[in-house]
Amino acid sequence: MTTNREELIVEFKEHLIKYLNLLDLTPADIKNDEVLFGGDLGLDSIDSVELIVLLDREYGIKIKNPTEGRQILVDVNTIVDYIVANRTK
Amino acid sequence: MYIKDLYAISPQKTHDLSFENGDWLVFNEFIYKAIEPSYQDIIPASQLRRMGKAVRMGIGVSLPLMGRNPKPDGIIFGTANGGLEDCIKFLNQIVEYNEGTLTPTNFVQSTPNALAGQVALISENMGYNITHVNGSLAFESALLDASLFFDEHGQEEKTILLGAVEEISDYNYNIDHLGKRFKQELVSNEDLLYSNTPGSYCGEGSTQFFLSNNPEKSLAKFSALKQSSCLSKNEIGDFVLSFLAEQNMNPEDVDCLLLGKNGDSLTDSWYDELAKPFGDKPTVYFKKSVGEYRTVSAFASYLAVQLLNGKAHHLIENGAAAEPRTILIYNHFDAVRHSLILIQK
Repeated sequence: MTTNREELIVEFKEHLIKYLNLLDLTPADIKNDEVLFGGDLGLDSIDSVELIVLLDREYGIKIKNPTEGRQILVDVNTIVDYIVANRTK
Repeated sequence: MYIKDLYAISPQKTHDLSFENGDWLVFNEFIYKAIEPSYQDIIPASQLRRMGKAVRMGIGVSLPLMGRNPKPDGIIFGTANGGLEDCIKFLNQIVEYNEGTLTPTNFVQSTPNALAGQVALISENMGYNITHVNGSLAFESALLDASLFFDEHGQEEKTILLGAVEEISDYNYNIDHLGKRFKQELVSNEDLLYSNTPGSYCGEGSTQFFLSNNPEKSLAKFSALKQSSCLSKNEIGDFVLSFLAEQNMNPEDVDCLLLGKNGDSLTDSWYDELAKPFGDKPTVYFKKSVGEYRTVSAFASYLAVQLLNGKAHHLIENGAAAEPRTILIYNHFDAVRHSLILIQK
């Protein structure tokens, strides 16, 4: 399990690219504070479901409350903060 | 049904029209993979990243075709398996994650009607939209449906985007290979028909036609179709002769045969049986070019239209058909499902 925050950010971005099939991007292309939805990445509602599946499979985190989800799935920083605080694996 | 326009992605270079103009690729492979064009200028990147191969190939054919023709009144596709690779990925996830949370993209892409739906969404087409999944007669079913669509609208001018798509899935290929549907040994496609062993080689692709009931400026027409799933080999002669008789024709009226011989020593004799009344007619064995798949008769129809318009004559065997005006396609799958398609200038 990666515990170093910087390593965790890179690992999460790699998962993000794989799950969302953003094959023309590298982790370095995604800024930590870049808005995921409504920004240049062009993610949509299907991607939000993919992200929820990613968090469940890779970090054992289940997001069931949509309001909570909107606060977590903002950018890489907010997601990684949530992973650090709530991961079960 | 008049064919106004057509386009295909196949294992040959149909995407840039080299194939029609004399190019022919020789394969020494077990799998004849489709040659895909660059989709970057055709499909938005945000949509492309979610597309499985079947949808990608299908959209890659649809959009250029739709771009040079008016919005069709209907979209009719045939596919035996749709996005099989993503379908199997999705099924495996159910097992791997113990029926837990599943990722939606594989599911969205794997349904057979994903292509027709995507084409309609991208082109904002609210017309008739259907996908036929009748196995190795899926394209024939789509063709029949298109014919019924035009009949239903009588004299009113209508247009349809008709097509078929099939992709090779690694999982499914392995199953079929173990089942001896595909050859265990490697033979070049040049020598496919002389291999004298069971099975064939797997192909894939998408072929689509822009159809109208208005004959003006048409390339050719689908004149008749017949299909059967219950024939014995000694009935195949009657099958084709009665089909021609229904069109007030006899074998002499056919200028060129397109036969689905695929090098399978167990089932190729059906084609020889069917060809007997035709003597030494010019013939094209289209599976030498693209391999075997369940909607390959769509590719055969594509090839027929090219031949009727003076192209792809390098594929004709048994002599030359100077200017063919009537082409008969016969295809069967596993000697169980048979179809005849008559295409005329």
